[in-house]
Amino acid sequence: MAAGPYNYSYIFKYIIIGDMGVGKSCLLHQFTEKKFMADCPHTIGVEFGTRIIEVSGQKIKLQIWDTAGQERFRAVTRSYYRGAAGALMVYDITRRSTYNHLSSWLTDARNLTNPNTVIFLIGNKSDLEAQRDVTYEEAKQFADENGLMFLECSAKTGDNVEDAFLDTAKKIYQNIQDGSLDLNAAESGVQHKPATPRTTLNTDQQPSDKGCAC
Amino acid sequence: MADTSTSSFAAGNVPASNPLSKKLNKILESRLDNDKDMLEALKALSTFFGENSLRTRRNLRSDIERRSLAINEEFLQTFQVVKNQLDSVYADVKAMNDCCQDMTTRLKNAKAQTHDLINQTTKLHGESQKLQMKQQVADTFLEKFQLKPDEIKSLRSTKSGALSQDFFQALARVKQIHTDCKILLRTNHQTAGLEIMESMALHQESSYERLYRWSQNECRMLTAESPDISPLLCQALQALQDRPVLFKYTLDEFGTARRTAVVRGLIDALTRGGPGGTPRPIELHSHDPLRYVGDMLAWLHQATASEKEYLQTLLKRCEHFVRIYKGGMFDADTDKLVIIGATDDTIQDILGHITEGVCRPFKVRVEQVLVSEQDAVTLYKLNNLLKFYHHTIGQIINPDAALLSTIMEIQDLSHRMFFNSLTCTANKLLDKVELPPADLGPTASLLHTMSLLKDVLQCHDSSVVTLENKKQDFKQILSCVLDPLLQMCNVSASRLSTVDMAAYMVNCIYSMQTTIALYEFTDTRQEMLSAQVDAHLDAMISEQAAFVLNRVDLAQIYGTIQQHQPKMGPLSSIQGLDPLTVKSAMNKFDSYLASPDSLTLPQCSLITSSKNRELIKKNSADLICQSYKLMYEAICDPKNEYREYQSIVPRTPDQVVKLLT
Ligand SMILES: Nc1nc2c(ncn2[C@@H]2O[C@H](COP(=O)(O)OP(=O)(O)O)[C@@H](O)[C@H]2O)c(=O)[nH]1
Ligand SMILES: [Mg+2]
Repeated sequence: MAAGPYNYSYIFKYIIIGDMGVGKSCLLHQFTEKKFMADCPHTIGVEFGTRIIEVSGQKIKLQIWDTAGQERFRAVTRSYYRGAAGALMVYDITRRSTYNHLSSWLTDARNLTNPNTVIFLIGNKSDLEAQRDVTYEEAKQFADENGLMFLECSAKTGDNVEDAFLDTAKKIYQNIQDGSLDLNAAESGVQHKPATPRTTLNTDQQPSDKGCAC
Repeated sequence: MADTSTSSFAAGNVPASNPLSKKLNKILESRLDNDKDMLEALKALSTFFGENSLRTRRNLRSDIERRSLAINEEFLQTFQVVKNQLDSVYADVKAMNDCCQDMTTRLKNAKAQTHDLINQTTKLHGESQKLQMKQQVADTFLEKFQLKPDEIKSLRSTKSGALSQDFFQALARVKQIHTDCKILLRTNHQTAGLEIMESMALHQESSYERLYRWSQNECRMLTAESPDISPLLCQALQALQDRPVLFKYTLDEFGTARRTAVVRGLIDALTRGGPGGTPRPIELHSHDPLRYVGDMLAWLHQATASEKEYLQTLLKRCEHFVRIYKGGMFDADTDKLVIIGATDDTIQDILGHITEGVCRPFKVRVEQVLVSEQDAVTLYKLNNLLKFYHHTIGQIINPDAALLSTIMEIQDLSHRMFFNSLTCTANKLLDKVELPPADLGPTASLLHTMSLLKDVLQCHDSSVVTLENKKQDFKQILSCVLDPLLQMCNVSASRLSTVDMAAYMVNCIYSMQTTIALYEFTDTRQEMLSAQVDAHLDAMISEQAAFVLNRVDLAQIYGTIQQHQPKMGPLSSIQGLDPLTVKSAMNKFDSYLASPDSLTLPQCSLITSSKNRELIKKNSADLICQSYKLMYEAICDPKNEYREYQSIVPRTPDQVVKLLT
């Protein structure tokens, strides 16, 4: 009797932010469905997706909140920063303006999340090398200066997408192990479920199936 | 040796025909060298016949006979031994034969004696096989229709009340047996069928009872912010589907536990915030209504989404065949539930219950905000925010859920408060009507109201609600603001002269037009305002034309010509239309043509919109041209007897048109 994909011990909340059209929804879709949705409809307000992953043998459920980049939704999406354990900040490597706006997104992220929230910078559309408008080195330097993790990804080819989401989770998990993230505090963005079954349940459940099956 | 004696005898007698001679011949004819027997005999003779003497010759016969005897004796002796041995063999064989005969007899006897026994054994063997078959059937039957001891054990409750995988297997067995009994009832084993069924029913009852207690307990403990829903509990829910009442009660228990958890979560988020206070507690922003209410709504959105997932986890095994229990509708005949919906309905029911708890604390807070907020723009923004979340959360939960109806109620309240505030502002305008200013422009209060309207319409650009909503709202907002405003303008213009009133109204309505022109869904309103402006503009146009004609003394002349009829005689003979008077007026008109702008109504210059100003200018000029044409044609008409008409009207109507436009 497989425990099924629901047998997880942590829930991590993520938020994806960045200008409109940088590919936030596509990244989420690529990560949860492993497909590229070329004609992804405009995000209205906020939407969310989930997927179960495994980090250091721990099943973790990612609850990922995708926000609309349009300015008119800014006030609404700001309310979703609270309780995020990870923030994926996305720009489009073929549009410099989306990169230039990063500092404003970063300010929001710093002000509205808790200090331990892991912020991951994603330069999306890396498949469009010919139209590149922001160099890897420049963005890397920005990330380093601001203490952000960084990868260039492509929601289209799926390149590096998995890594961006997983690396963020690993970092959050590491923070928990270090004790720098206090799980008991409300709105840490992480919800913990005891991994071992309660003693009254002498079940034979073992985490048998591979992680990311949802 | 007889031969030898014979030959020696034959030597003396030779008649050929007598036997003796025959014999003799035979001897003579025989070739000794070839007769092997003779040679052997002679050789053997040579061994003992040494000295050839008479005595020996005489004794030869006896010697030979002696030797023959000795040999025979020896022979006899040797055969005696063989004979003895054969005798002994004979004796043995005889004994064996006897023995065999004995055995045969005995066997015959034995056979005769055991025949019955064998028959009996065969019969018994057959019976035994039949019995074995029966036993197998009985065993299989028992295996199929009875619980094994350890199955019974796993069904029985333990001290700790714990439940294991075995329980579910045993429970499934009980169920299977119970079902199989129905087949038994169709055969001629009805008694057994009934008895087993009854016993299984008892097992089932106690097991479900136990399962229910266990599940209820498990659910009761799920009050952590993120509940740990064990696979076993999911299995329990799956099994409990067979007992819809217990299934529902268990879900209710779950709902109650989660409801408590969600309420606590909201209160924590409101008052405690994140670790070390970041993110800050939501209530810290209560001075900023939009942020305060927005944060609460976003929290509710996320909580609702999470709770729905927990429910889906809990019911993941029930998905395909759950039958919904609602209001105790049983089909008593088949002991089956009437199918009312799918799992989705169950999830929605419970989700509605879970999120019901936060309604009050949420509502109280938002109501407080709304009631103490006076700014129409903020109220409108709150209204839009609530609409947005009603829609967003409505994608997760059914519209009839308490949470959504609460949001709807609050949204209605915010709607009312907003329009109250708008109406209030508008009514204040009517309370003390300002006099139109000297420049006949919009009053300060009108401008102020317009800027409020602009702000309100503006916040839709940054708002998150659907277009349909926007359309609805705009219609209402516009009539709420513009209707009293127009009324106010009319009232304040009532004491003005016609031209002043027209100019004032054109200016006021123009300011309204320009305000709403920037926004969608204002077309109908714009048309209405345009029509009103046009009416006032028309008034101004004819006033302007009349003003010019008056100033050049053509008004009277024009009026008379318009009313003139041939029977009244030639125009030139009518008083006031004598060539001199007409000529003097036409002279004045000519100097007007030299500088048309010199004769503009002061009110026309006060029209704020240059487009309207131009329109008045152009259309009044057209009117003047038309009048001129009428007068020109009348004066040039010989019937009217103006002799030097060319000096009276030196310009053709076309020339006038050119000069004026
Ligand atoms: N070539 C390419 N196009 C992408 C990629 N990711 C997104 N897009 C396109 O970019 C557009 C905007 O994507 P969307 O996910 O809606 O952006 P969002 O507004 O940030 O959610 C869509 O037309 C996508 O097809 C990518 O990695 N490569
Ligand atoms: Mg999007």
